[in-house]
Amino acid sequence: MSAALSKRLLDEYAAARESLPAAVVDPARRQEAIQALAAGGFPTTRDENWRYTNLRPLERARLAPVAAPSSAPNLPPGLARFARYAFVDGAFVPALSAPEEQAGLTVRRQPGALPPLSTLPEARLALLNEAFATDTAAIHVSAAGGEPARVELIFVALGGAETGTSYPRVQINLDPSSHLILVERHVSADGGASFVNSSVNVDLGRGAHLTHYRLQQAGARATWLDTLSAVLGADARYALLAVNTGALSARSTTHVRMAGPGAELALSVAALGDRQQVQDNFALVEHVAPRARTEQTFRGIASGRARVAFNGKIAVGEAASGTDSRQSLRGLLAGPEAEIDVRPQLEIYTDDVRCSHGATAGKLDDNMLFYLLSRGLSAEVARRLLKWAFLEDVVSKIEIPDLRRHIEHELAGQMADAASLKELL
Amino acid sequence: MLKIENLRVRVDGKEILQGLTLTIPTGEVHAVMGPNGSGKSTLANVLAGRPGYEVTAGSVSFDGRDLLALAPEERARNGVFLGFQYPVEIPGVNNVYLLKAAVNAARKHRGLEEVDAFEFLTLVKEKMRLMRMEDSMLSRGVNEGFSGGEKKRNEILQMLVLEPRLAILDETDSGLDIDALKVVAHGVNTLRSAERSLVLVTHYQRLLDYIVPDHVHVLVKGRIARSGDKSLALELEKRGYDWVSGEAA
Repeated sequence: MSAALSKRLLDEYAAARESLPAAVVDPARRQEAIQALAAGGFPTTRDENWRYTNLRPLERARLAPVAAPSSAPNLPPGLARFARYAFVDGAFVPALSAPEEQAGLTVRRQPGALPPLSTLPEARLALLNEAFATDTAAIHVSAAGGEPARVELIFVALGGAETGTSYPRVQINLDPSSHLILVERHVSADGGASFVNSSVNVDLGRGAHLTHYRLQQAGARATWLDTLSAVLGADARYALLAVNTGALSARSTTHVRMAGPGAELALSVAALGDRQQVQDNFALVEHVAPRARTEQTFRGIASGRARVAFNGKIAVGEAASGTDSRQSLRGLLAGPEAEIDVRPQLEIYTDDVRCSHGATAGKLDDNMLFYLLSRGLSAEVARRLLKWAFLEDVVSKIEIPDLRRHIEHELAGQMADAASLKELL
Repeated sequence: MLKIENLRVRVDGKEILQGLTLTIPTGEVHAVMGPNGSGKSTLANVLAGRPGYEVTAGSVSFDGRDLLALAPEERARNGVFLGFQYPVEIPGVNNVYLLKAAVNAARKHRGLEEVDAFEFLTLVKEKMRLMRMEDSMLSRGVNEGFSGGEKKRNEILQMLVLEPRLAILDETDSGLDIDALKVVAHGVNTLRSAERSLVLVTHYQRLLDYIVPDHVHVLVKGRIARSGDKSLALELEKRGYDWVSGEAA
């Protein structure tokens, strides 16, 4: 980190600290985070696991949080049977929210016990969130309800980077055997160059089940940085599905710790980059207990001059015998100047494991293309259709029909300015 | 309808078609037979416009137009259909999407409205019954996980739905058992009409027991070595391709 940025970080923090709510993150923890960040520095593209991230906006952005929003944006319609909580520039806005009583569900703005600060170098942008966070969506689910709880969190970035950073912050605690379906969306109210740095912590008790959909639909000029850390207890199940289409520069760091025996993770990511977009994804899954399973699926498409990357690392510790992990990472290069990088990494310290991985990056299949042309489809429609099909391995896993339809339209819109693909939906 | 004159085609720098001349009048069924490597599939592919086939000489006119000047999708919209020897699997693009997109592309070309979704589905299901295909295949990915026979039946289904003016079926009989062959042949026969021409590219005479051609041509070393009526196919079956190859040499 440049000395200037380091100094600015400390100065901005010093100026803002008095106004930062102690109930969200207590001052001692904020101080600890800012010191850890100042000591370790922001990541740079020289760091192997950050080399695709565009970190230049950090140099320019105001790091202190955006002041309370002045206007209320229009939000996309909510999902049926989901309790909605809306945040604008990181702050909860009751008027835009539609909470709903659900058995076993508690959503508060004060977190419970927080996990220790992460020391993972890839998770260090979460420290920035710890230091500056202005609000929290703290979701707790007990097993009281037979039905799964349903929550939608929508984060809207309103201001430009010059007005400050927005810090979405989510904490999810699932009691043993409880079940939550969570939709987390990130959007921008307009085309402003907003700067977002979100942090999500997930703690799943024994046998708990979280289905978590994450939609990154930030505006075309936005910088979107994100860190998600999850810990899975014994037999917990976590289905995490992310669709990243927005922002000019996006980086998502996912760190999942399979702490309990028999835990299951299904991590599915679809990323779409066009024009000058950067979609960088890093996922580390640590197996530290026996018999846990991980399934990672990535489908990324880079068009225009976009760069799309997925770096998926699976670390299997000595105690993690019987680990079963599968990685299927595929990238599609859809432009002569686009760049795609899919990288599976395995680090195994025990013998009794089954780990498989497949990673491919390539262009559209000429035979498939010709087949579609020979049926009269235009080259443009044929290409779009094949790109569409490419993402299907991720999109087909979306179990909420309304949400799936929304995402399909979003993807179709992203891939096509003509309506030709939409009519196929 | 189709007039091929002195056609020379290179693939990977090697001349495969070496001055092929063939005329297919409207309403007729022609079989093109020949040994391996004689250029049968090259002929089928070059007519459909597959990239990688370099035409160095000759001409192909289709309804009086220069077929070779048209892009593959334009050929399709003008009524040329290729039944693939090896239909590709396209997971994620479902069969009914493709059929509908294909039909609408052709209709748009003719200045017609898009098909009514309900009527279209009814029509497709009717054709599927003809091809003895399960309805569930409609919602599956194009040819995804289909057996060899199912893929070939799917090709014919597409042909039945698209109703081309000229269909070129490239070894549609290969990999089919006798029951599937009969189903496929029946499907093809329902499309025979005075306005439509068919080119059957095949190794074996067997297909021609079920789809009886008006003319049979034998392709040897990239040229038509012999033409005749359906009895030529039977004679070939008896005497082998060496008979014609020997004469051509």
